[in-house]
Amino acid sequence: MWDLRLPSGLFFTLLGLILCATGLVGPAHHAPLTQANVNLYAGAGMLAFGGVMLWLGLRRS
Amino acid sequence: MRLAAVDYLIIALYFAFVLGIGWLIRKRVASSEDFLTSSRSVPLWITSLAFIAANMGAQEMIGMCASGAKYGMMTAHFYWVGAIPAMIFVGVFMMPFYYGSRARSVPEYLRLRFDEKTRTFNAVTFAAMTVFSSGISMYALGRLFQLVLGWSFTSSVLLSAGIVLAYTYLGGLTSAMYNEVLQFFLIVLGFTPLAILAVHRAGGWEGISSRLPDMMTHSWAYTHSPSANAMGVEVFGLVMGLGFVLSFGYWCTDFLVVQRAMAANSMTAARNTPLVAAFPKMLIPFIVIVPGIAAMALMQMNVGYALPPKGSAYDYDLTLTTLMASFYPSGLLGVGLTALMASFMSGMAGNVTALNTVWTYDIYQGHIRKGAPDSHYLMVGRLTTIVGTGLSIATAYLAQLYNNIMDLLQLVFGFVNAPLFATFLLGMFWKRATGHGAFGGLVAGTAAAALTHGLTLAEGKGAWIARLHEFPSTMAQNFWIAIVAWTTCFLVTIVVSLLTRPRPESELVNLVYGITRLPPPEPQARWYQRPGVLAVVVGVACVLLNVWFG
Repeated sequence: MWDLRLPSGLFFTLLGLILCATGLVGPAHHAPLTQANVNLYAGAGMLAFGGVMLWLGLRRS
Repeated sequence: MRLAAVDYLIIALYFAFVLGIGWLIRKRVASSEDFLTSSRSVPLWITSLAFIAANMGAQEMIGMCASGAKYGMMTAHFYWVGAIPAMIFVGVFMMPFYYGSRARSVPEYLRLRFDEKTRTFNAVTFAAMTVFSSGISMYALGRLFQLVLGWSFTSSVLLSAGIVLAYTYLGGLTSAMYNEVLQFFLIVLGFTPLAILAVHRAGGWEGISSRLPDMMTHSWAYTHSPSANAMGVEVFGLVMGLGFVLSFGYWCTDFLVVQRAMAANSMTAARNTPLVAAFPKMLIPFIVIVPGIAAMALMQMNVGYALPPKGSAYDYDLTLTTLMASFYPSGLLGVGLTALMASFMSGMAGNVTALNTVWTYDIYQGHIRKGAPDSHYLMVGRLTTIVGTGLSIATAYLAQLYNNIMDLLQLVFGFVNAPLFATFLLGMFWKRATGHGAFGGLVAGTAAAALTHGLTLAEGKGAWIARLHEFPSTMAQNFWIAIVAWTTCFLVTIVVSLLTRPRPESELVNLVYGITRLPPPEPQARWYQRPGVLAVVVGVACVLLNVWFG
């Protein structure tokens, strides 16, 4: 039986990459009520989560 | 709110993954049990996350955030009073009978324990309620996307329903549950930044408390009388109505959630499913209710955030999406909206898979065609996915006639779920309870709920027979309808049971407490995997949260 950690790890890794890229390409682009580069931080978080899931899934298989 | 190309890319990526999971799992479906019950093969971490994800529908996320903005921290009662205690109870005390009886559904347990008519009553009302709530959820999503994105109601409803239909049709319950786990992660990761940003901008919890009335940041302090709080409820109605009757009626008997635990791969995993699920469940208020409260504080700060007005108050249902528009730039905005769609899908898939099983096994196999080959029931299960989705879509269009989603949902709970817990409590813990008693109690309880609604008025609702009493809010009315329904069902079941012939004890093994030998935990289970230990830890944590935010 395949492990759900692999596809979900892959999903969040891709999502994290997209968000980080968006954050790096347009750091000045931010939402009305915050100055922070929200995309970059959230992207890094998702990348970390996706990476942990992939690592857990690959370690097992 | 305008979406950029990157937002659409993220939505498309998500759709590709959910469909891909359905496609990969389709090979595991060889029999009707694979499709409808996952053949009891799913590991604990998946069952437990699916257990709460199936309940986290779109109307839950939108409604709880709205309720946070409207009522403040008292909304947390829906979690810390209205969910956790019942989740502990179902895991520790009820799951041994659901799982141990080898019933394939909650109504089937009723047939094993009581009789055919009790099962059918439960199966039919459950099927109707499932289609109804999935339609309401679809309506909520369609209306919201129409309002904030300008998408047409029909296309957002058909697109998201079509995707749920596709992956449920392909992989059945397993596919729905695996996707629910992905959806759960996405909901948590997609909403957490919003909570952090909104609370931070509003000056942290202290900044929020200093800007809002004290009532908004306390859950218990203003519950001594209905006039002291905006919800119009008091301690007794809250604890008995929400905390006991509605909550136990939902978490302990509603097949939508119980089905996830029943799909677990062992008795210990089945019992631990709601207990493990309780940990993330009690933290959900921090990502849905607290941002709603922060939104009200932001409005006091004149930083450019405002909820659109509606009548003399605000359109609270837009709290979540207006916050996203204020704090999420293109990119994360796509993630936030995808998370909202994911919550809708997990709720709808929960309804669809529960309906499939109840229709196929309890109604179709029970009454329409018995003894057909298994492949026939697999086909019926698949067809039910299509028909059920179609009926839900029809309901979504009907629901456009109604406004307040939460109230309506609770009204239906009051009619259908509230008496049920009395039936299960007596069925599992009192061997003398009989089928005639259970059926009489259920019918009387449901009738009592409808009667109470017809005789009492709240915010202009109810009192379609006569006006005997007026409640300060529809929420208080719903809590009391539930209390009346439960008590009626409990008493009528006892009286009728005592007047009718009991079943011999030998037929009640694995169905009733006291006759059944409770299973010891598997020998390889470590101390922290024991249901009793988990239950104590969850219980203590929940009490601490209630005290901390009381």
